[in-house]
Amino acid sequence: MKLLTIALFGCIFFANCLTADAIYEFDNSIEEKRFYSLISEIRCPKCTSGSIASSDVPVSRDLKQKVYELILAGSTDKEIKAYVTDRFGASSDYKPAFEGANYLLWLGPFIFLGILMLVFLSNRRL
Amino acid sequence: MNAIYRSLIILLPLIVLITYGTILITDQDDALVYFEPKEFPQFDLQDLEDREIDLAAFNGISLLNVWASWCITCLVEHPFLTQLSKNEITLIGLNYKDSQVKAKQWLGKRGDPYIFSIYDPRGDLAFDLGVTGAPETFLIFNQQIIGHIQGELNQEKWQSTLVPLINAATMGNQ
Repeated sequence: MKLLTIALFGCIFFANCLTADAIYEFDNSIEEKRFYSLISEIRCPKCTSGSIASSDVPVSRDLKQKVYELILAGSTDKEIKAYVTDRFGASSDYKPAFEGANYLLWLGPFIFLGILMLVFLSNRRL
Repeated sequence: MNAIYRSLIILLPLIVLITYGTILITDQDDALVYFEPKEFPQFDLQDLEDREIDLAAFNGISLLNVWASWCITCLVEHPFLTQLSKNEITLIGLNYKDSQVKAKQWLGKRGDPYIFSIYDPRGDLAFDLGVTGAPETFLIFNQQIIGHIQGELNQEKWQSTLVPLINAATMGNQ
């Protein structure tokens, strides 16, 4: 019985080792924070919806590894995002830059809301 | 005036609903990924036989098919690729995250439709191409990627997405 218990606990600990995620080690906490914020803003290309932080498919693992390497190599957040969107398309950036055609993307809902407000208000006055 | 606004309140959401509904219905998740031409990335890899890659294969129209011996859907599309290779289509393989031995066995057993297969065990070139898995197929015209299909390539997808792109590319060049 004692042996069985030890064997069972052994199995549990061993399973833990097998499923352990890749470990990313950084020199400082700023880089570590940048890493975790970046991987939560990059879309998993193989998933319907979700960031690479929440995904363990091979391509997400590759992407996380690449982001890690680029941070260690001294790339800026903007450079890393450009690196990813160049390869996996603009839709892989969950937080598109506030510039160019993206103004419509960011401001579109407010413009739509504004138009609706105008319609409702003019409707009331009449 | 009031009637127009009233009808707008109903019509506007209806138009939005129909537009998005049509997009959702017609959108196939494994259809063409993008249209904008992109330069084929540089790479430093050999083929499955350890030979240097002949870059001349990327001139004119060619197809680059991402495959692996572990990939089930690659088996499904293999007969269609074989059929394509018998026509005048240049078919290049990109062997993705595979073992060289297993890949060669796979081709030996099922037939090799590719003029050569680039051996990419770590998926380096595949990463630069934006490959998310296997199979995927890229349409190349004069070192430029002009089309990208994720998932199985079959007669239907070939006719509906790749043939029009090939016609447009070759027509513009003549």
